[in-house]
Amino acid sequence: MSKPASSALHQALRKSFQTLENNHKVWKDVLDECSPLIVSLGNLAEQSRALSNVQLSNTPLRIFPDLEERLRFKLLQATDTVLGKLNEKMSSLQSVRDTFSNQVSAVSQLYEQNTSSLDLLTVTERSATFPSVADMLEWLQDAERHFRQQFLRRKTLLQLLTADNLSLLESAPERWKSLESPSAEENIADTLCKVSFFMEAQ
Amino acid sequence: MEGESGDITMTSANRKCSAVTGSGRKIKDNTADWHNLILKWEKVNEEGFSTAAKIINIRRCQSEDQLVNKSPSFSSPATAVSAATGGAAELQDACCKLQDIVNKMVAIVTKMESLMTSQRGVQDLEEFQFGPEGRKIPLFHTWNTKQFESTSCFLLDIYSQELKLKQTILQELAHTTTSDLCMVYLSCWLHQPFIHPQTRLTLEALLLETGHRPL
Repeated sequence: MSKPASSALHQALRKSFQTLENNHKVWKDVLDECSPLIVSLGNLAEQSRALSNVQLSNTPLRIFPDLEERLRFKLLQATDTVLGKLNEKMSSLQSVRDTFSNQVSAVSQLYEQNTSSLDLLTVTERSATFPSVADMLEWLQDAERHFRQQFLRRKTLLQLLTADNLSLLESAPERWKSLESPSAEENIADTLCKVSFFMEAQ
Repeated sequence: MEGESGDITMTSANRKCSAVTGSGRKIKDNTADWHNLILKWEKVNEEGFSTAAKIINIRRCQSEDQLVNKSPSFSSPATAVSAATGGAAELQDACCKLQDIVNKMVAIVTKMESLMTSQRGVQDLEEFQFGPEGRKIPLFHTWNTKQFESTSCFLLDIYSQELKLKQTILQELAHTTTSDLCMVYLSCWLHQPFIHPQTRLTLEALLLETGHRPL
């Protein structure tokens, strides 16, 4: 068993979990900021739908001949603004995903480079306070996959949305919510708990 | 005239130009008033929106209550009646509040009209002084006095239209039964369809020209 290889790997793992902790916080914050935006997209779609359902010429609003066009313009403009904001949020999610992916691939690479000096016992050995290297690598990859999948799913949903497709916009809040994966989020929180002693032992 | 400059804050940038007198002074003060009136309009509009939303909600609760009461009721008629009158009082309150808010808007537009009149006065004075083609050197950077007048006219038109829309909504809001139409009223109130994005640009242009905003 090679001491330097194993301790370098430990260092890299510690750094990765640190990144995971920070990125997970940012990730959750960004998603929290997205929720009201998605809700307002749904509201705007509902307003556009109501406008289409009402024949303005049969209502007291008939004295304003170009009202419908004007209101529709305003609604489209507001929808565009919200979509723009959501796209900005997506860029923050993307950068979280990229940072973490880079980190995880660096650790995996380090591990692969040193496989000759790390025997099975070293990578699977664990104690009451330290998880094994193999476990930790697996958890990192699980988390990385979660970020990757979540980002892609949410990005795809947003790309489908356009200001003129009402039914999609109306269903957006629900679809957005259905993408939530509480179990994966819990797993990340669990992972961070499991490695807390390992992290403290700098 | 200086008292008319409203509540725009005097920063060092616009204090420097406070030596302007005569027509320039008048136009500059009018611009500050435009700015303040439009800000005030936005504030009042927000208040109005929450009140309008409240009216719609009360109406919705009332119609749901009626549906419940039509089916074999499990609340005694007496309590149902008291609940309905409670709702009615609340509705009346909210409608009065919205009426107040629209009155505030009327006051704002009246002030805008007087700004317009004063702008026209400046224009007339200039024609008297310099003849129909106006003064040779612009009062501020590039605009001639006519442009100030047409800008005021443009802004006044927008806000008068929007006020008319608000007044219509005020009249109809509490009597509307279809939920779609209620939604349209609310979204008209919120998005202010007559105030197009150019309004903001025009106001900024005015502020820039008169030196309220540094170039």
